[in-house]
Amino acid sequence: MRPNRISLPVLAIAALAALALVACGSEAGGVSEADGDAAWSFTDGSGKTVELDARPQRIIAHATAAASLLSFGIRPVGIYADTPIEDDPGLERFDLEGIEILGETWGEIDVAKAAELQPDLIVADYWPPEDAYSGFEEGVKEKSKKLAELAPVVGAAQGESVVKLIETYERLAESLGADTDSPEIAAEKERFEKAVENFEKVTAEKRGITALAVSPTPDLLYVAVPEHAPELLDFTRWGLEVIVPDDPDQKLPYWENLSWENADKYQPDLLLIDDRNYPDNLRDAEKQPTWESIRAAKEGAIVPWPGYWLHTYADLAEQLERMAKEIEKLDPSLGDE
Amino acid sequence: MAFAATLRGRGLAAGLVALAALLALLCVASIAVGSRSIDFATVVSTLTGEGGGTDTETAVINDIRVPRTLLGLLVGAALGLAGTLLQGVTRNPLADPGIMGLSAGASAFVVLGVALLDIRQLTAYVWLAFAGTAAAAVLVYAIASMGRDGPTPVKLALAGAAVAAGMWSLTTGVVMSDLDALNEMRFWQVGSLAGRNFPVLEQVAPFILVGVALALACGRSLNALALGDESARALGQRVTLTRVGILAAVTILCGAATAACGPIVFLGLLVPHMARAICGPDYRWILPYSVVLAPIVLLAADVIGRFVMSPGELEVGVVLGVVGAPFFVALVRYRDLAEL
Repeated sequence: MRPNRISLPVLAIAALAALALVACGSEAGGVSEADGDAAWSFTDGSGKTVELDARPQRIIAHATAAASLLSFGIRPVGIYADTPIEDDPGLERFDLEGIEILGETWGEIDVAKAAELQPDLIVADYWPPEDAYSGFEEGVKEKSKKLAELAPVVGAAQGESVVKLIETYERLAESLGADTDSPEIAAEKERFEKAVENFEKVTAEKRGITALAVSPTPDLLYVAVPEHAPELLDFTRWGLEVIVPDDPDQKLPYWENLSWENADKYQPDLLLIDDRNYPDNLRDAEKQPTWESIRAAKEGAIVPWPGYWLHTYADLAEQLERMAKEIEKLDPSLGDE
Repeated sequence: MAFAATLRGRGLAAGLVALAALLALLCVASIAVGSRSIDFATVVSTLTGEGGGTDTETAVINDIRVPRTLLGLLVGAALGLAGTLLQGVTRNPLADPGIMGLSAGASAFVVLGVALLDIRQLTAYVWLAFAGTAAAAVLVYAIASMGRDGPTPVKLALAGAAVAAGMWSLTTGVVMSDLDALNEMRFWQVGSLAGRNFPVLEQVAPFILVGVALALACGRSLNALALGDESARALGQRVTLTRVGILAAVTILCGAATAACGPIVFLGLLVPHMARAICGPDYRWILPYSVVLAPIVLLAADVIGRFVMSPGELEVGVVLGVVGAPFFVALVRYRDLAEL
């Protein structure tokens, strides 16, 4: 159903593109119109190809996608987020001056305000298990979903790898006219590559250690399913094997839900704990009588895990460096059992 | 006549004892079974202090299931009584701490406290919940009192529904826009007995015990109120004072229960009707029956919730909603709602 949704916006886009040209013409120092004639086409993370008569200029992006675009020098005109922007670790390093904020609550997007921005492209992560882009998932208000009527939606998939996700956004940024070969971006990439090398070295020293990615709450212990958490698949690729839970929730396959009685079902050497509400979630977990039935918890082998938000080389590098340091500090006998 | 009344009294007393025995059985079940399977011999040896289980099994039994069961007993009794008192004092068979917006008020205040004042101590949650319950009660009563005919049962129910809806959207609004509140407060939208353990139990137990004692003393007053305000006055009741006293007991019971477990709906609605079906209109019997019946329903629902989603669990609030909704429909459909 979703791929077909594009046909309507494509029709509408002819009109919008005309509007955009008018808008560009009236702006001082407007963008070069030479590219205006070139057809623009992009195949995104869902496999969908969007074709437009002109390269999109006015972009509305979901917060995580916005971070990635900003890192490659593409400034969206509007951002919608699931949580307050000021708490967003991915957007921390960017100056958002002049960018319209269209929502800071999951499922609520100010579409009227978005329409005023006259966007010609909407960029948001694509979630394969839900077959939906951020902002258009089940549960989002129908009113908010009308955002899709303003412009076509593209995005990188929250699929097999954060690196691949970032590369998709890099490709998108390039197609939108960004110079992705700038020295700053090259420096970030280099730092990232070094961070991976170092991470691999550190995990190789602790050969065969396993990790379990968890998000504790007062009711349940949620165990992340790596298949739907690209950074966890990357960690495994780089030498930190993340355990795959065997009984994911059927409705929300991102997690297996364990009651606290069953907290010891998996016994990893290391616990990766969701950093989105850390350290509150650790405090909640420590209140549970069975938290320490997980040996790694008892031994304090707990490292925060950047859950689902890594979208730039800079953040990826920084988090890998931090995690490597913390893993290095762990008991050397870890994983011997 | 007097002889018949005595006989009936004996029968009801025997029924109460039988239900208490059933409750005791359910407590055993609640400790013996759960989403983790532990064999019964180990459960018994752990409870008697002989050990025998692994450390994890001991922790599960002593530190999870025992406090969870005790919490179920207390919160069940509290909500059952709160519902009975509310139905009695408003003479409204649809009154329930959930439907009247009291649980929603308690939740909303706790969530606001967390989001706006950054309150994180359990001690404070209890007081926030009291304040929220009381605020919702006053609001409902004030709205229902508008107009010349005063707070009629129908107006109370409507005002309750409106306040409940308002409080819910407040809670949802805050929870959705504040990440901390969202994470801390996931259970403020659906009530649950899971993960509370001894610290929570110790915190709310004194309040609930006081509330239960207060409530059990209200039987005679409720009987008088059931005759209507005029008759109650003629019987020497100070109607307004009695109402305020009863609502205070409801606030303590509902506030403490919500602070411990989040909003649990339908229990307060269901239990008084069950009690009334067994013992007729005498609140001196309805109240003690509510104390025993409510934990039976709550613990049974909680035990069911531990199985249906294994290895996870379904919140007791959800189980009760599933059981309670059809009951609510049946009630509206088959019973004469004007009979209170």
